[in-house]
Amino acid sequence: MRYLGLHLRARRIPAALAAAASGTLVLWTVVAVFSEVPDADISLVTLLVLLLAAVVAPTLGGHDDALDRTSALRWLPRRAAHLLVALVIILALVLVTLLTGARFGPAALVLRDAAGLLGLTALGAVALGTARSWFLPLAWTLPVVMTPFAGASVPLQALTWQTQPHDNRTAAVVATVIAVAGLVAYGVRGSALRDIRSAA
Amino acid sequence: MTRVLRVQLLRFGLPGALLILLVGTVALFLDRGLWSGGWMELAMEQRDHLMLLCPLALAIGGWLARREHRATVTELFAGTPRPQHQRVLLTLTAVGLPIALAYPAILAVSAPWIMATAEYLPSAAYGVVAVGVLAVIASAWTGLAVGRLVPSPATAPGLAVAGFVAVLAGPMAFREEWQSVLASPAWAMSPWNEFQTVPAAVSAAQAILALTVIVAAAVVLSARRWQTRSVAAAPIALGLVAAIAVMPHDYDRVTIDPVAQELVCTDDAPRVCVGRAHSGLLTEITPKAREALALLAKLPGAPTSAQEDTDNYLDESDIKPPPDGVVEFRMEVGPDGRLADAGHLVTRMLEGGGTSFANCTEFYEIPVARAAGSWLSGRAPVNDPEEAGVTFDDGTPYTVLPETTALWEKLRALPEAEALAKVAAVRKAGLECTDMTGLLG
Repeated sequence: MRYLGLHLRARRIPAALAAAASGTLVLWTVVAVFSEVPDADISLVTLLVLLLAAVVAPTLGGHDDALDRTSALRWLPRRAAHLLVALVIILALVLVTLLTGARFGPAALVLRDAAGLLGLTALGAVALGTARSWFLPLAWTLPVVMTPFAGASVPLQALTWQTQPHDNRTAAVVATVIAVAGLVAYGVRGSALRDIRSAA
Repeated sequence: MTRVLRVQLLRFGLPGALLILLVGTVALFLDRGLWSGGWMELAMEQRDHLMLLCPLALAIGGWLARREHRATVTELFAGTPRPQHQRVLLTLTAVGLPIALAYPAILAVSAPWIMATAEYLPSAAYGVVAVGVLAVIASAWTGLAVGRLVPSPATAPGLAVAGFVAVLAGPMAFREEWQSVLASPAWAMSPWNEFQTVPAAVSAAQAILALTVIVAAAVVLSARRWQTRSVAAAPIALGLVAAIAVMPHDYDRVTIDPVAQELVCTDDAPRVCVGRAHSGLLTEITPKAREALALLAKLPGAPTSAQEDTDNYLDESDIKPPPDGVVEFRMEVGPDGRLADAGHLVTRMLEGGGTSFANCTEFYEIPVARAAGSWLSGRAPVNDPEEAGVTFDDGTPYTVLPETTALWEKLRALPEAEALAKVAAVRKAGLECTDMTGLLG
């Protein structure tokens, strides 16, 4: 228990949880107040998941990752668990809106985007370090939300997987690949150690 | 001071500005078909991209504020005699100046694409660009201010997503177009056609609002206490009142510029005219239009000049039939800034013996009109590339080719004089707007 508490504090989980909850609340309020239909637009669902993935990003590293690694702990299961718990929390936060008057769904879409964007964030952390881990998911997703693609071209569907309909197979495959790659890469390597001063 | 500014510029402003330049240029390049028609379209399309550039500038501001915070020199600097507002001014300049220059730099990089063909540059276009510059500065400084107040690692990405949601969904919260335009600098900026404009009053109202956000962000940054920071609400409130007062409340997103619609003509006969917005394409169009006029010449009462149809079809009161003896044509500008489907301009002008569907939507029979045109040109009917992608209700691609070809074959089989009389009848029906059905049957 003591280790868990220390880990949560070192990764600034309370602040991240507060930010995630308030971000969800704000977007939920926007839809609840302004939308004329109960289901949030697909772009807003993607943006909410993106926001939550970005909030998770700073928790992928601690104050001093180099120091962390000197400890004789098995990091792989810890890092994997960290990502999986983050996924569960994102799903819980978003899917609880399905019970309310402003629904962010469907669940399959939220699961796909959450897993894919978390994987992308994790890949970003491995490649660029914790502080810059959100570059990748944001740089990919925001242009895609701005220019949705509804055609039949498979490469373009793969490129715009975040905003494809929830039953699109190409998008699901891409998200799964990214999620697994992110999980494995982050589990094995952890955040890159470059530029420790700006990390977190 | 200048040395500090130079260091700050190199470390802070320049990377962000380069990023904005890169993103803005790539976005414009990918969308070039939407703005290749002229300078106003370019200015508007770039404003449309603020949907991406504003969140980007917000994130850059938030990121830089975080970096300042990470340097942990706030207390050290606070111990120096230089007043806080001077230091803040340095940071604001170092961030704002390069970003403000990056926005017109995007235009400078993209302009050569249409430099050879775009001529008409209305002064309203400068207003559209000015609002864009103010909007990116306002975003970057707001990012700095929020990043200073909430120095968390999640601030920059959070700002980017929040800014994106604000620009995307903010305008939809309002019912009136003029309110939506104040809510987002990117709203209603996707160009509809080359004759469109943004009234100066609209740009002025948006500029006032952006300026007040800039002032408010500067106040928040240079203040040390919450009491002083709350003063920032004053310029926002004032600006909102002023912007609402300046904004024309009957604003429509498709406002047509009558000067752009004015006709520019060739000096020599036969006269060919295009709208001022397309004046750069007159030399390209003239030979094609004259070719069509020459082919029409064998008809009785043949038209002697050609002009572009610059009517705005969203506004019924703006649709006017052409003067007598004039054949009208509509034209599109391709992604390269030149005439789109150049090979089809003559075909379109010959349709219905030089009459147009637009002036007789009720009785115009497209297969009949096209068969008549094909007979005049002596070439087999083809599908118009403008109709590519159009489908019937059941999803099959739209085409009138089989009927047109059948009618054309019938015409071709007739003796010259008889066929000419039939085509002349089609022209008469098109001009007087009477039923065309069976005229070639």
